[in-house]
Amino acid sequence: MKKIKEPIKNWKIWIVLITLYVFSVPWYFPTGSFNPIIFGVPYWAIVIMGVSLAISITLTFILKYCWQMADEEEYREDQE
Amino acid sequence: MKLAFSGTSGIVIMLAYGFLMLAIGIITYLKNKGIHQSNKEFYLGGGKIGVFVLFFTFFATQYSGNTIVGYAPTAYRMGFFWLQSITFFILIVIGYLLFAPRLYVLSKKYNFITPSDFMEQRFKNKGVTILASLLMLYGLCNYLLEQIVAIGQGVSGLTGGTVPYQAAVLFFVTIMVIYGWLGGMRSVAYTDTMQGIALLFGVIILLIGSIIYFGGLKSATEYTAVVSPEKLGVPDFNGVVSWFSMLILVTIGAAIYPHAIQRIYAAGSELSLKRSLTWMAWAPFITSGFVFIIGIIGIQAFPGLTEGESEQLVGMMANHIASQNGFFYWAMILLFGGIIAAIVSTADSVLLTLSSVISKDIYGRYLNKEASDEKQILVGKVTGVILIIGLLIMAWYPPATLYRIFILKFELLIQVAPAFILGLYWKNMHSKAVFIGMAVGTVVASYMAFTGLKPFGIASGLWGLFINTILCVLLSFLFKQTQEERVRVEKVLS
Repeated sequence: MKKIKEPIKNWKIWIVLITLYVFSVPWYFPTGSFNPIIFGVPYWAIVIMGVSLAISITLTFILKYCWQMADEEEYREDQE
Repeated sequence: MKLAFSGTSGIVIMLAYGFLMLAIGIITYLKNKGIHQSNKEFYLGGGKIGVFVLFFTFFATQYSGNTIVGYAPTAYRMGFFWLQSITFFILIVIGYLLFAPRLYVLSKKYNFITPSDFMEQRFKNKGVTILASLLMLYGLCNYLLEQIVAIGQGVSGLTGGTVPYQAAVLFFVTIMVIYGWLGGMRSVAYTDTMQGIALLFGVIILLIGSIIYFGGLKSATEYTAVVSPEKLGVPDFNGVVSWFSMLILVTIGAAIYPHAIQRIYAAGSELSLKRSLTWMAWAPFITSGFVFIIGIIGIQAFPGLTEGESEQLVGMMANHIASQNGFFYWAMILLFGGIIAAIVSTADSVLLTLSSVISKDIYGRYLNKEASDEKQILVGKVTGVILIIGLLIMAWYPPATLYRIFILKFELLIQVAPAFILGLYWKNMHSKAVFIGMAVGTVVASYMAFTGLKPFGIASGLWGLFINTILCVLLSFLFKQTQEERVRVEKVLS
C-alpha cells in the first residue's frame, strides 16, 4: 500500500497557496495607475495574471504529488 | 438594423442542439436500463465516471452560458477589475482541496448519494440534516430559476427577439427534464460533455472573430485609456476589498455546491478526480479569460452602452461578426447554440441534484423510510417536475440583470461549508453547534442580502459564513461531546 498523503495536512502547501492568494489581488499597486501598458494589458494586470498562472501550476503539482488517499485496488475488489 | 440571427438558421441550430441532447438521453436510457432501481446508478452514474466526462460535468457546474453572456458585459462595464473572474475560477480548485480528498474516500466507504448523507453519517442529528437539506433545496431552486431565465434571455437576445423568451424556456426545459428523467446522471454527464465542447468552441471562435473585425486587445485598451481610463486603473481600497470578498466567496461557495459535491461522489477513481480537477485549474484561462478579452474589445466596438444595453453585448458583437461572411455566420450560429447548451448543462446538473435531495433526504429519510430506491427515484423525478413548473411560472417575466441574482444563491449554499470542511477533520465539532451556526449564519446572510447591508464592502454571504464558523467553533467547546459520540465520530472519520 502506498503512503497516504492528504493535502490539508501539508502546511507547506498552504503557505504557498495563501501567499499566492494574497498577491492575486492588486492591493500593492498605486490606485488608478495603469501605465505602462504591455500588449494591450496594464502592467498590474500582467502581474495579477502571472500570480494566477502560478496558482494553476502549484495546484497541478499538489494534485499530482500531494494527494494520495484511496487504496484503489481495495475498492475495485469491493465492487467485484 | 437587420439581425443576422433573425432568420431560420438560429431556430434550426436551436432545434438541432435540442434534439442532439434528447438523442444522447435516449441512447443512454437504452444502454442502461437498470439504472432506475438504484439511487447510486441513477444519481451518481454508478460512481464510475471517468476523467474526461467527469471534467466536463465539473465544468458544467462552474461554467454556464452566463460565463459568456453575463461576464463579457461585466468586463465591458468594469474593465480590468473583472480580471478577478479568471482568478476566482482557478481558486475553486483550492476550495475542493479543502475537503474533496477525504470526502471522496468516505463517500465510497459509506455509499453517499447526496451531500446530506455525509451530514447524517457525521453528525447523526435530525436538525442538522434537515436544515442543510432545506438550505440546499432553496439554494438549488434559486440557481435553477436563474438558469431558466438565462435560457430565455439568451435565446431571445441572440435571435434579436425572433424566438420569444417563453418559447425558448419551454422548449429547452422540456428537453432537459426528459433526458434527465431517462438517464439520470449518465445522461446529464454525457450531455454536459457535448455542451461543454460546444461552449469552448463558441468562446474561441467569438474571440477570433472579435479580434479580426473589431481590432485586438491592444487597440481596445488604447481606446479605453482615452475614453474611460478608470477601467484600466488599479482599483481603490473598496475595489480591493470587494475583489478579495468575491474571491473568498467563490472559492468556498462554488466548490461546496451540492451538485459539485455529488460529482466528487460520482468519480470513478481518485485518479480521475485528481486529473479532472487539474484540468479545472487551467480551464479559466480559455473560458473566463477569453470572455474577459471579448468584453474589453467590446468597449471599443460598442462604446457608451448603458447597463441594460450592455447586457446585449455578446449578441451585438456576434451579429456584427456573423454579417461578415459565410464562415463566421455559421460559426456564430454554433456559438449561439453553445451558449444555450451550456446554460442547459448547468441547469440539468442542478435539477438532478435537486431531485436527489428530495428522493433521498426528504422522502427516503423522513417521509417513507421503507421506500425502495426505485420509489424514491420516482418521487424525486415527479417532485422535480412540479418544482420546475413552479419555477417556470416565476421565470415567465424575467428580472433585469444576471449578475445580481448570481450573487444571491451563494449566500445560503455557503452556510453548509463549516459542517463539511471542519466536520471532516475536527472530531470535537458538536452537532448542536453546527445547527446553531448554520441557522444563525443563514438568518444573518439573508437579512443582510434583503436589506442590502454590506459592511466594509464584504458580501453578506461571507458575513453569514464568518458568524456561522465562529459559532460552530465556540459552541463546540461549550457543548461537550459524550464519550459514546466521540468514539462513533472517530470511527466514521478514521
